[in-house]
Amino acid sequence: MTLTGAPRALTPRRSRPMSTWRLEWLRLTRSRRWIALVAVYLVFGLIGPVMAKYMAGLLEHVQSGITITVPPPQPKDGIVNYLSQVGQIGLIVVVAIAAGAMSFDARRGISTFLRTRATGMWALVAPRFTVNAAAAVLAYTLGLLAAWYETALLLGSLPVGAMLAGLLCESVFLVFAVAVVAASASFARSTLGTVGIALAALIVLSLVGSIGAVHDWLPSTLSGATVELLSTTQLSDYAASLLTAIAASVLLVAVAVARLGRREV
Amino acid sequence: MDLSGGTLLALAPVVLLVIGLVIFCLVDLIRAPAVRYLPKPLWALIILIGSTPLGAVLYLALGRERQPSPSIPDQTDKPALRTPPEPERKPIPDRVPPADEGPVVQTTGLTRDYGGAGLFDVDVSVPRGSVYGLVGPNGAGKTTVLSIITGMRRSDRGEVRLSVPRSGIAVCPDVPEFDPWLTAYEVVDLARSLIGTPRESVSAATDSVIDALAAAGLGDVADRQVGGFSRGMTQRLGFACALVGDPELLILDEPTSALDPAGRAELLALVASMRGRRTVIFSSHILDDVQRVADQVGILRDGRLLYQGSTQALIDTHLRPRWLIRIAGDTGTVRAELERQPWVTRVEPVGLDSLRVDGESMEAGERGIPVALAVCRERLVSCEPVAADLEAAFLALTEPRDTNSDSPFHAATVHAETLHAETLHAETLHAETLHAETLHSATKDGR
Repeated sequence: MTLTGAPRALTPRRSRPMSTWRLEWLRLTRSRRWIALVAVYLVFGLIGPVMAKYMAGLLEHVQSGITITVPPPQPKDGIVNYLSQVGQIGLIVVVAIAAGAMSFDARRGISTFLRTRATGMWALVAPRFTVNAAAAVLAYTLGLLAAWYETALLLGSLPVGAMLAGLLCESVFLVFAVAVVAASASFARSTLGTVGIALAALIVLSLVGSIGAVHDWLPSTLSGATVELLSTTQLSDYAASLLTAIAASVLLVAVAVARLGRREV
Repeated sequence: MDLSGGTLLALAPVVLLVIGLVIFCLVDLIRAPAVRYLPKPLWALIILIGSTPLGAVLYLALGRERQPSPSIPDQTDKPALRTPPEPERKPIPDRVPPADEGPVVQTTGLTRDYGGAGLFDVDVSVPRGSVYGLVGPNGAGKTTVLSIITGMRRSDRGEVRLSVPRSGIAVCPDVPEFDPWLTAYEVVDLARSLIGTPRESVSAATDSVIDALAAAGLGDVADRQVGGFSRGMTQRLGFACALVGDPELLILDEPTSALDPAGRAELLALVASMRGRRTVIFSSHILDDVQRVADQVGILRDGRLLYQGSTQALIDTHLRPRWLIRIAGDTGTVRAELERQPWVTRVEPVGLDSLRVDGESMEAGERGIPVALAVCRERLVSCEPVAADLEAAFLALTEPRDTNSDSPFHAATVHAETLHAETLHAETLHAETLHAETLHSATKDGR
């Protein structure tokens, strides 16, 4: 260091060495994004089974002259309620948080700081993708565990195998969703643009999934797979979707690295 | 509704989570210096009754202000950028290259066409160990050159040859930006880790970060989150980030644009002190800054390199025998006397008490002016040669050539002299300001 002749002022608090991985961890914790992420999944995880249990009672209180017949709640209804909520709101939060991290070209100063120092684009994309995907999976898992706990107390026990298989499917889908965000960030510079492209892509994928011929192969089939796994299907029925989602995730991240690496700032 | 023990056990976490989230959001709202989109009372209502707990989540997602701390004022009364004193400067052998090692950066026929604007056949050559000033009017292509050199943009044609690895290049943009929730220490430490330096001990890494922060005058605020930094402090932080990797090539794009006068002077001294030890490319529109620190200069206009070479050689080219004479009396008599002299080519009044005299040679003027003044018996206040500076040279090179004057440099030179007279006036004001600040500082110290 050539500037050791300069007098030092205060010695800063000793903190852990920085890295791009720690940067992403701090992005989640310091900006309190983790609270929004965990809160959404945990709240719906806790409320979903309660709503399933007491929906009939609530409807009885609000009904006026109309007779509504609600079948007695089944254990799987607690999870169905949870998934129906987080399948939309949770996904939007995951996409928004991941887009905030991935769209580092939105601000030229930050982009210049990172791009002129990083050894390669992979060094910038990998931690962002991994940490956000892991956070999404963790938040989903916490919510699912909360829903499972509530369901067990209020509605009855759930099959462990089907629940774990469902967790695997939903986790792979969330990883795929974050990969879609990564690729979207290479098409749009702004965070809002990245969110828009990613959500549009996921919605289109979901619509395409309604076509029977490709349904079994699309990653969107994994979203909400837990409901089916608790009723009729088995994990092997989702093998094609799982493989497609994993392959597509790898491809999308590769696209993101290649396109972001070629982008001019 | 059946509220058995199991049900209560199930409801307890829900209630606790919702209450905890609402309390957290309310406390955060009260402590927050500012919130976004809506006034605080309205956010409080949303948190409390807005479809609990969705109101709280909405506040976390939208209402929270991202700036973590109030803006820290620029501390202009403190040493801003600390230049290592000359005797303490440590020589670094690997930064003192052999003279025949060739340029650090060499571009050949660099072209980037933005539809008429851009760069056209630019051959930049930056000698190792030099401070290279890149100057030019707005839109001349300075940023494009630097962006292509740093790999941020591509050229349509041409070649860039770098004799340092990418990891040995550090860039400080004109408007640095950082994630606001990082501390200054973490930002510089991140810059250090990003360039992939060889594994070093934690204490050595910490030392290098602290040294860079201290050199940039940010040692006192190392633990502060940078979201509250002023623009000047952010620019210093950008400079600290550029220094931390001990780069072989330092690229500074308008590095003094946001600094106060003291900080600017100290940064220039720091850059000047690097000459011979590391290569610096210094882009600036403040020509005085470039003249003070750059030994090599490149002048761009309309995407073409008009001049490249020694700063002093450029200035010398435009040095003309010219003097500014200030008299405590009637300038008319002196002017008439000077116009009779055979060596004088032009005499023009400047203000009420000064004359600008052009001569055929320096020697003729140095001998003739005292004689002319003695003949007139006027009181001389001052007589100084008007030195050519980078500003004059720059204007001479970059002004449009379609002037009606007989000399292509005439308009530029007149302009430069006007600027010079204005500069003299500004310097007087600056001296008065410094005097006032000294008095103010003394008053504060005595308080």
